[in-house]
Amino acid sequence: MAEGKRWQALIAVRDIYPGDATPVTFGTRELAVFDTTEGVTVAMARCTHGAANLCDGYFDGTHIECPLHQGLFDARTGAAKAAPARVPLRMIQSRVQDGVVQVLL
Amino acid sequence: MKVLTPITQALNDGIITRTEFKQLMRRSNAPAFAHLALWVLTLIATGTAIYLAMGTLWVWPAMFVHGVVMVHHFALQHECCHYTVFKTRWLNDVFGNICGFIIMLPNRHFRYEHCDHHTFTQVQGDDPEHIPLPQSMAGYIWYLSSVPYWRNKFTELFRHVMGRLTDDEKRFIPKEEYRTVYWEARLMLAAYAAIVVLCIAINWWAPLWYWWLPVVLGEPVMRFIRMTEHVGKPCVRDMKENTRTNYVSRPLQFLCWNMNYHAEHHYAASVPFHALPALHEKLKTVVAVEPRGYLGAHVDIVNQLIGRAPRADQPAQDHG
Repeated sequence: MAEGKRWQALIAVRDIYPGDATPVTFGTRELAVFDTTEGVTVAMARCTHGAANLCDGYFDGTHIECPLHQGLFDARTGAAKAAPARVPLRMIQSRVQDGVVQVLL
Repeated sequence: MKVLTPITQALNDGIITRTEFKQLMRRSNAPAFAHLALWVLTLIATGTAIYLAMGTLWVWPAMFVHGVVMVHHFALQHECCHYTVFKTRWLNDVFGNICGFIIMLPNRHFRYEHCDHHTFTQVQGDDPEHIPLPQSMAGYIWYLSSVPYWRNKFTELFRHVMGRLTDDEKRFIPKEEYRTVYWEARLMLAAYAAIVVLCIAINWWAPLWYWWLPVVLGEPVMRFIRMTEHVGKPCVRDMKENTRTNYVSRPLQFLCWNMNYHAEHHYAASVPFHALPALHEKLKTVVAVEPRGYLGAHVDIVNQLIGRAPRADQPAQDHG
């Protein structure tokens, strides 16, 4: 476990949008919880290119599209997959424990 | 930086629920292929009219009508650059490039330029697609003539062929994409040149009669339509004020791929073209709607030009 970080409860699994992106405010952070085909992942919600919250974009189960410019990110890894997105998403280490999505922050 | 997507505010305000919004964002290839099939039939019909009118003066109105359809490839290209035509993402790239070739609008450059248009809609000096409210009726007619449009497009194409970008273009095109922009312009010009050489070599002039002349004849109609989107609206960031939605007839709505719902498109650019009418039903109380359609928008614009209405590009205190 990273020094100074600890697992913290973010949101109950039953409260996330199935197969979609759910916006969650965690302290001062805007996070995006992705219910991907390969499990739940968590990332910073802001697009790394433009001024948009990615949770308002189109999600196909693996990739999230920015609602402002339609840049594309892999919601499983954070990789920027299509222009104008170039900088990867910052992923937050996460896990599901007892029906709760937890993040290591 | 503040979130600029107005749909975020609409969601926060409860104008539309997240579930409703996500339903509207669902992608499908079927509506796109159905629309495209009718599109091709329309092109065949208007092209046939040119064929039948060839050798008579009727060929000119026939080319104009065909040209009106041809310049609407812009609408399809625009949707493709938002990836809101086809569910299959690469199909949007393919058709975006085809449309760009038809109307001489290189697709990659347009995509980057259009991104900034969505970031800075109607912000003077920052919106790269900003069409200023003309200063006079002469300026209005000059813009509609499409002469300044084509002058800009040819200048732009040759500038990119020469490997140059303006400072404004360098602002919205990332460095690593400069070469892509140069090479798409070079390929486009080379393809046009090859077609001209072929026409001369085998004395075959179909591209002139069915493509280039119609596009030139039809472009003033596209300028007329493009003006209705933002011209004459306030030069402010507020999407409720700076963009018009126009109610138009079904044939015109078909031609513009529902882009008459322009304010809704700016609210949520990820909503596919076929869902824009449904999105309009959710947002019609908050966006600016021109019920008289394109003509009504131009009545609004002309009234501002001739002093019957305050100019929307002036600060509010000047409105009296």
